[in-house]
Amino acid sequence: MASQFLRQTLIKTKPSTVIRRFSTAAAVASPTGYEEPTGVTMKGVKISGRPLYLDTQATTPVDPRVLDSMLPFYLSRYGNPHSRTHLYGWESETAVETARAQVAALIGASPKEIVFTSGATESNNISVKGVMHFYKEKKRHVITTQTEHKCVLDSCRHLQQEGFEVTYLPVGSDGLIDLDRLRKEIRPDTGLVSIMAVNNEIGVVQPLEEIGKICKEFNVPFHTDAAQALGKIKVDVDKWNVSLMSLSGHKIYGPKGVGALYMRRRPRIRVEPQMNGGGQERGIRSGTVPTPLVVGMGAACELAAKEMEYDEKRIKGLQERLLNGIRAKIDGVVVNGSMDRRYVGNLNLSFAYVEGESLLMGLKEVAVSSGSACTSASLEPSYVLRALGVDEDMAHTSIRFGIGRFTTEEEIDKAVELTVKQVEKLREMSPLYEMVKEGIDIKQIQWAQH
Amino acid sequence: MAASGVAAPTRTEVLQLYRSLLRVARQFCDYNIREYTKRRTIDAFRDNKNLADPSQLSAAFSDGKAQLEVAKRQALVYSLYAPKVKSIMDIKPS
Repeated sequence: MASQFLRQTLIKTKPSTVIRRFSTAAAVASPTGYEEPTGVTMKGVKISGRPLYLDTQATTPVDPRVLDSMLPFYLSRYGNPHSRTHLYGWESETAVETARAQVAALIGASPKEIVFTSGATESNNISVKGVMHFYKEKKRHVITTQTEHKCVLDSCRHLQQEGFEVTYLPVGSDGLIDLDRLRKEIRPDTGLVSIMAVNNEIGVVQPLEEIGKICKEFNVPFHTDAAQALGKIKVDVDKWNVSLMSLSGHKIYGPKGVGALYMRRRPRIRVEPQMNGGGQERGIRSGTVPTPLVVGMGAACELAAKEMEYDEKRIKGLQERLLNGIRAKIDGVVVNGSMDRRYVGNLNLSFAYVEGESLLMGLKEVAVSSGSACTSASLEPSYVLRALGVDEDMAHTSIRFGIGRFTTEEEIDKAVELTVKQVEKLREMSPLYEMVKEGIDIKQIQWAQH
Repeated sequence: MAASGVAAPTRTEVLQLYRSLLRVARQFCDYNIREYTKRRTIDAFRDNKNLADPSQLSAAFSDGKAQLEVAKRQALVYSLYAPKVKSIMDIKPS
């Protein structure tokens, strides 16, 4: 009966009529008021259709299979997982514990070592500030890298204001840290080494196994921000010897607003909670666990484990198609960060003699970003690229292409076509490019005002 | 699922499932999800083409059945909240 109704709805009614039937006065205040059947107008830009999405480092679409697992917990199964006295609570609790096991399975951990949080930012805050605050009597020093995500760097700044010392490890031009340098920087009072697994802007994979070994040797807790690594490269907490690991839901085709923190039990790592309250999640993160989101994250993890091999093979092919496609048509294209030690879904390119903002503005039909979404509002070049030693002009023209599970070959071809067209157009207008073609070395030019 | 017993699915049943999955895939109004569902269905059936073990066969079959149910539900959900504007990939240059 139900399936018959479903079939009829699917066949007979077009999406637009379905919407009209369901929409009431609430639709007036809906956030989709900018949409016209002929196109979208937003921020003064008119686009004929929804842009193709190549920004999967910022966030990924929710997989329909993930949404399917979440919806029941938005409908009849609304219980608080901490309610101990009725069925509503029990079924939610069971679902949360299943999700915990799913997350743990993907990273080779025990479910008891997983704490659900609101996202990787919160997990990073608990790790960096929580560990240092807990061990503050003896440990006064933190080691991190210059290319870390803003939330780790900002937590470190916060610690510095409290009197802790922080070492920001430099990275090479390939974006990787120097292991000998790390070894030298470790002191007897070093309380934490925090190094991200996969960089969000340039996709470089740090040598985590080696870092883990060094940390084990000196008996220093090792924290890694694996938000960009989870579900994309093989993550194993024992192989990497991490004490803490930050995970995020919305980077792996799960919902936004949920993340997890892995905390090793043997040897046990302890943190000072950043959120106090009802003592949920063993007191490390108080606040009601959002069952639907957590269920979604668990489903996304299980799916990631199942689909990782398939996705990686495909994404690798698409990355090559994108890079070769662009390189075949235009010169002066530089890949930022190591090409060998890189997550394949990330391609951070700099286009010489092109102004970055103009390029992004001209690429309105391709949803890409110049770098991290958190910093893309500013016109400053990315601090990650500057840490790599990328020249100011090249850092200004970087575009990060993020390829994901749902990207198609046709989208890549379209992105290549539009990027090439825009770069050629901008170079045609550029006096710099003309000078370069005439053989003038623009690095030698003395600009009047600088 | 009652069908996931010991008996392996027949060739007709497998083909029927394959066609049903592709049919539901086409009903997704979202460009990326539609293309993914098609592609994933085709690739999964191709990967499992040489399965001979009856228990493996019936496991793959019942997994496919479950996926079909998910796809049916989600195609409907997606259609309920479809944006008025299509993806630029769905707009044919005229």
